[in-house]
Amino acid sequence: MHAIILIWLLLAGPVWAAVGALRLPRQYHRRGLDSSQSSYVGTLAGLVAGPFALYYLWQKTPSLSRRAMVSLFIAALAELFIIFALFFPDNLCATNHTYVTQQVLNGLTIGTIYALMAIGLTLIYSIQGVVSFAHGQFYMVGGYASLFFLDAAAEDVGIELNPVWGIIVAGFVTMAIGILFERFFLRPMHTGQIERAREYAILITFGFGFFMEYTTLATIGPQPHRAGRFIQTASLRLEPLTVGDTPLLGRLIFQPNRLASGLIAVLLIAALVYFLQRTWTGRGLRAVSMDKQAAAVTGINPLGMNTLAFGIGTMLAGMSGAALVPIFDWVPWVGAAAATRSYVVVVLGGLGSVPGALLGGLVLGVVEALGSGCYPNPSKGASYIQAFGLVIFAVVLLLKPTGLFGRKL
Amino acid sequence: MLNYKNRILALFIIAALLSVSFTVVHAQDECNFEGEPIRIGATGPLSAPGTVLAGIDMQWAFNIAEADLNAPPNCGIELDGVQHPVEVIFGDTEGLPERGAAVADRLINENGVVALTGEYHSAVGLSMMDVAVEANIPTVFSETFSDQITAQQAPNTFRIAPTSTIASSAISEWLISLEPEDVVIIAENTDFGTGIAESTQANLEAAGVNVEVIFVELGTQDFLPILSRIQAGDPPDAIHTTGVTGETNLNLVQQMAELGLAPTEDTICIANQVAITPEFWETVPDGNYCVFRKIGLGPASYNEIAQSLADRYNETFGSAAQSWVFESYDSLFIIADAIERAGSTDPDAVIEALEATDITLAQGRYYFPFGLNNPVPEDVPEWMWHQWPDPAVTVLQYFEEGQSGDEAAILWPEVRQTHGTSYIVPGTTP
Amino acid sequence: MSRQQQGMVLLAVISVILLILPQTNLLGNNYRVTLIRDGFFYAILASSWALLAGVSGQFSFGHMAFMAIGAYTAGILGRDGVAIIGLAGGEIHPLMTIIAGTIMAGFVGFIIGVLLLRLRAAYLALFTIAFSELIRIGLITEFQFTGGSNGLEFRPLFASTSARLDYYIMFVLLVVSLAVMYSLSNSRFGMFLRAIREDEEAAAAMGVDIVRYKVLIFVITSAIVGLAGGVFYHQVGIITPNSIVLLQMSLVIAYAVIGGMESLLGATVGAFVSRIVIELLREIPIGTTITIGDFSLGPTIEPGAWRFALFGLIMIITLRFARNGLLYAIIQWFSERHVAIEQTVSKRVTDPAPEEVAS
Repeated sequence: MHAIILIWLLLAGPVWAAVGALRLPRQYHRRGLDSSQSSYVGTLAGLVAGPFALYYLWQKTPSLSRRAMVSLFIAALAELFIIFALFFPDNLCATNHTYVTQQVLNGLTIGTIYALMAIGLTLIYSIQGVVSFAHGQFYMVGGYASLFFLDAAAEDVGIELNPVWGIIVAGFVTMAIGILFERFFLRPMHTGQIERAREYAILITFGFGFFMEYTTLATIGPQPHRAGRFIQTASLRLEPLTVGDTPLLGRLIFQPNRLASGLIAVLLIAALVYFLQRTWTGRGLRAVSMDKQAAAVTGINPLGMNTLAFGIGTMLAGMSGAALVPIFDWVPWVGAAAATRSYVVVVLGGLGSVPGALLGGLVLGVVEALGSGCYPNPSKGASYIQAFGLVIFAVVLLLKPTGLFGRKL
Repeated sequence: MLNYKNRILALFIIAALLSVSFTVVHAQDECNFEGEPIRIGATGPLSAPGTVLAGIDMQWAFNIAEADLNAPPNCGIELDGVQHPVEVIFGDTEGLPERGAAVADRLINENGVVALTGEYHSAVGLSMMDVAVEANIPTVFSETFSDQITAQQAPNTFRIAPTSTIASSAISEWLISLEPEDVVIIAENTDFGTGIAESTQANLEAAGVNVEVIFVELGTQDFLPILSRIQAGDPPDAIHTTGVTGETNLNLVQQMAELGLAPTEDTICIANQVAITPEFWETVPDGNYCVFRKIGLGPASYNEIAQSLADRYNETFGSAAQSWVFESYDSLFIIADAIERAGSTDPDAVIEALEATDITLAQGRYYFPFGLNNPVPEDVPEWMWHQWPDPAVTVLQYFEEGQSGDEAAILWPEVRQTHGTSYIVPGTTP
Repeated sequence: MSRQQQGMVLLAVISVILLILPQTNLLGNNYRVTLIRDGFFYAILASSWALLAGVSGQFSFGHMAFMAIGAYTAGILGRDGVAIIGLAGGEIHPLMTIIAGTIMAGFVGFIIGVLLLRLRAAYLALFTIAFSELIRIGLITEFQFTGGSNGLEFRPLFASTSARLDYYIMFVLLVVSLAVMYSLSNSRFGMFLRAIREDEEAAAAMGVDIVRYKVLIFVITSAIVGLAGGVFYHQVGIITPNSIVLLQMSLVIAYAVIGGMESLLGATVGAFVSRIVIELLREIPIGTTITIGDFSLGPTIEPGAWRFALFGLIMIITLRFARNGLLYAIIQWFSERHVAIEQTVSKRVTDPAPEEVAS
């Protein structure tokens, strides 16, 4: 029985997935239906149930609801887990559910900060239509702004401030830099002074990030720095959870410092959502993101909104940097890896979608934690920590470029 | 057409003026130099991914050594009754092997140096050797540990740093004396990290210890997933991270400590030697009771030269000088001494003179027992070739938050123990 | 002489100078010969990237990864090829491994090109960043196979080799690849590529086979950089995964932009000059001068970092104000001033208005 399942899962699954990915869109296309999601659904259906599901889809070509896609996704995850457990029966992830819970919770904590940063990126895209390739460097500058502010307060004024204050300062500093950059280098793009604006936008943001990174390195130097902690308590140990006599969960361990930064990220995201939903300016921003011309007609200045959106986006990047500076060592090149994570998150969630970025951040946090924690060869799991996110990213880009919540390309 | 040419000419003149104005003017001093400067090339990492913390120190030490050499009573190098000033040209190798080869090439061919010294990363040192051996330029490595450097027995290559066998066996011997049952080794996936991991694993397994090795990428920020993986099993008796260098090590050790994984009553925390730098307490506030290794003597055993150098270092940087400061300083003096005794800058003569080195400097008396004139015997490891045999290696442990590396307790070797114990259990004071 | 003829003569003169240069004593030593050879290598990288991104509008950040695929394939075959094929006592000539590396780079370029068909602009840039990072992480982590951070060593190209020989090989490679890319870009093929860049739908509507051209341009540029990488690292002797960190890709892009990314020649000259400048800037010891007695040292000021900051600044300013590159802007500045002066002179002769003379 084992062997049959194994052969099926190993050989038939991927083959049928490939068939589904490549063939199903043609069938949808032939029948004049929306084929945008069919390659994604075809892959998952082929992977989970092979020819049976594909036959059904082929014959009926049902309209693909989000619920169907989500349940297929969960089924595929379950199947991958079964393969994993069959292959590596001794792996901690297959035997120890407390461990899995711990990794998932750790991943969710760090994921909120990934989300905070990525929301900035996605906001800029939704208004400006530009992916900022300087996002990682704004994150890095935010961390340093916080460090310098806290240092100056401690040394010149003599007050040991909580790093929370640094987050606010970092937000202002990066927002100011972002607005200046937008005003001088991106605005000409929207007033028709630049040919082929999309390419220009990629290169100009990329060049500015490069400039910021090496200016920081040249002026501040490569020595690592770290801010003080949010909370001065040692690690938090939750006692094992039992219901009656059956143990449900073993002991979980948390770091209050990380939880604090995760909580701060959640609060900031909530504040941003309030701003976008409830204030006049926030609604103006959303209006511009939906339809520039229509918004202009109602009296909203799209150029001003562009600048504002870029400023808020860079502010969020700076704040997420400042939220992590008490947790990780800060060096001038931390931006590149963080930016790559943001790209993964926004593509996962769909470029331009705020809820998508939130979900994407959490998913990436969990994927990295589980990937690194479950990789069969423990001696290499840690080295591949970034790769797990990148693989998911590449797969999503190829199968479903619109991401979880994205609009049509 | 004429205007066109004039403009180009003007551009050239401006460029020429700029390049002249960039030329560094060295300060005059009281020595009366008649000879041409003798150029010596020094290298170290001044950019990431190299260990910049050490590179900056090394560059400083070479500059100080140059200044001291060119000031009375040394007054440069005397050849045939003429005083020649020494000029150190420092090259940034960025911690990259390919940069190392290119920098050595530049120093030798472009700058015309007569000897090379310095370097921190072994992989870089090895690639520099390819160039230096071919050009037969005498080389004294200051701070590269890999056994390979001297084991190749290149005629031009000398070293005053300990070999990695000498350095890592100190930690292994100390750890084995505590009789642990299982040890986790975390190492970076570079030649340095894998080398440390392999030799430590072999030493520990030979003593009957269970060893698990985990490789990480340099520059990783978040170690929580892999640390949780270690924590999910039984706590190991020690986590050994000397195979992770620089800022990445500080990040790793802090996350280990914050998580309550090590140092604890059950688990020993062994950090990289970067733990001795003042950055340790800023970036690893929970790192009390971590163990680390120190190359070189403690302040109690400083001689006059070492004390003077340490004082000047403290004046500039406000902290205690590390082994690489002394090693860099000494290696320039060793080369200058050899050139003076050789009476010329001819490579073979200098190499001959280096083999006959007998000079006392900041770290003690230098000599090279084995070389061309006295081949390494069968029963002596081959890396003893052109190797200074006496570098001091000690194992230290912090026991008070914020204390400097020189105040830490010496655990090993037993004869040097300062607090009468070979391990301080976290939470106690010796 | 017409403008174009003047240009051709200038090019020929520069080529002859570059050909004779190593034979004279002007360069003096191997270091400078090697420096110029590095300039040639980066000129190949930048000009092929200009063909891919500037001419065809395919914004790839994975160019260096293709270079590394070519180099690593050649290096690993050179090391293990005998064992893989099972030749007894034989040895594979580096030329064969380089050809294998070129084919491999082209093949991966084909696959990536096919995968990228649906993606445009920002998505394409994001995907290629991910691709490049994945390759780099894989190269570092599988160090038992690739040599990891310690690097992969190469045998020399020929039994006896010299800096001058390497110089000429790289020079020929640059000239040949430029010739190939030029003829491509000035043919119908190049016209179609530009049409796709300007408006993909319109090009498709006019009957341009978009799929074929987009994939083909990926294959060609990947093969060119794969070849260049294979040759270059055989000359250098060692490659590490650090050669494809984002900084290296950023530099190639900056060189191309500064030189003018829509013109192959502009990118070539830009990369060649910038590479040599960036190497020479390394030697300016800002903040490392010392004064004896009252000791002063600037440990946080690094020439290494400042020169990159400077290049970033030049890049964004070029992009904003001289989209066609600095080279073009400088030429234009000269010729405009030239024309303007002539005009003023002729104006003065024909119409000597007193107030104008006074001003």
